[in-house]
Amino acid sequence: MELISLFSQTASIATDLQAVADNLRKDFGMHGQLLISQAIGFIIFAVALKIFAFKPITAMLEQRRERIAAGEEKLKRIEKQLAESEATTAAAIAKANEDALRLITEAKQGAAAFTEQKAQDAIAQAQQILAKAEAAANADRERISAELKREFGRLVASTTSQVTGKVLTDADQHRINEEALAKVGN
Amino acid sequence: MTRFLVTTLGLWLLAFAPAFGAEGGEPHTLPFQAPVVFEIGFFKVTNSMIAMWTVGALIILVAQLATRKISLIPSGLQNLAETVVEGLQGFLGGIMGEKLARETFWFFGSVFIFIICANWMGLFPGVGTVGHKLIDASGHEVGFVPWLRGANADINMTLGLACVFFLLWLFWSIKHNGVGGFLSHIFVYQGEGAGFMKMLLIVIFFLVGFLEVISIMIRPLSLTFRLYGNIYAGENLLELMLQMGGTYFGWLAALPFYFLELMVGAIQALVFTLLTAVFTGLMCHHEEGEHGH
Repeated sequence: MELISLFSQTASIATDLQAVADNLRKDFGMHGQLLISQAIGFIIFAVALKIFAFKPITAMLEQRRERIAAGEEKLKRIEKQLAESEATTAAAIAKANEDALRLITEAKQGAAAFTEQKAQDAIAQAQQILAKAEAAANADRERISAELKREFGRLVASTTSQVTGKVLTDADQHRINEEALAKVGN
Repeated sequence: MTRFLVTTLGLWLLAFAPAFGAEGGEPHTLPFQAPVVFEIGFFKVTNSMIAMWTVGALIILVAQLATRKISLIPSGLQNLAETVVEGLQGFLGGIMGEKLARETFWFFGSVFIFIICANWMGLFPGVGTVGHKLIDASGHEVGFVPWLRGANADINMTLGLACVFFLLWLFWSIKHNGVGGFLSHIFVYQGEGAGFMKMLLIVIFFLVGFLEVISIMIRPLSLTFRLYGNIYAGENLLELMLQMGGTYFGWLAALPFYFLELMVGAIQALVFTLLTAVFTGLMCHHEEGEHGH
């Protein structure tokens, strides 16, 4: 029953549609030529609007979107590069600090060693100079002492010869010298 | 504030004084049919057709000016054009999906812009009031033919728009679904189920398909009359208000209704575009989604 009702409703709607079409013609002035003209007019308008407005504007919007996307992509890349650069710089600074500290330590150590070595050299040199001076002084003293002894012996022998009035032999002279020197030495 | 409102209302009511003082008689109303202004051979040109070409030409002119020196950094008219296009694309994309909206934008964008501009142009001074008198053989004035009439206050225009949409809808539906898919979309049950229940649903859906066909056939008519009815009624209302206000106060009586008609013009453009987009989206959008998956 419901199906029959459905079909009868469908038929009724079709009849109504026919009536609507008749009304459209009579009451509302629907006219085939005018309808087609207006429809074609609108299609021409739509196509012209597409060519003159939608196409260039859509292309421009797309171009701007692409540009913004590319800009954002570039910005991300730059940020990434910046982060990498900052990390590299930080690492380089840390390494430089480390190297500098190592160099300073090495320099300090080198300087200390060098100072120590130079001090030792200076001490050794001073000791050498001192030893040489001491040796020279000793030699001079020995030489002067020997000369003094010889001079003293000659004077003693000469004096003795003049006091005694005899000519002294070499043996006498030697003996007198020895005795005189022994007394002076004491 | 109250004083301002009372004064405004009082002035507005005063504008109806000529109507109250009149001795009766039928007020002149806008005819249902757009009158023919001139004929070129068998080709009739109505005042609504002239209005349509005028609106179209103005829109194209503005579009040309906006896109003449198009640049990445928009300014002036380009800003306006881009705002309209981008807004409409977003609106349609929300209804039909981005892909289908891009494909059909040339039509739906044109429909919205044309209808809103045509509706608002009908409110311009001179539309419906500037024209020529009809003189009979004896030299008596027998009528007046305005050179312009609101383009959508003519059933041929709104029916033309609806027919163009219907043909395009049919084309897009078959393009996206194929003939079989198109018919199965209307007649075939696509849900789940088993046994007797499924068989029953298949039969019911097949029969309901015929009602769906009728509903589809009625769509152009509903679109036609909704737009025509609203715009025709609006123009008629304005004309009646102008007559009721008389020679000097007609403008005042009609003034509030101009604001109303501005709103109606925009709403009707939106409704026509929205409904046509929804009809297209219902038939084609799911298919696009399936491809997307």
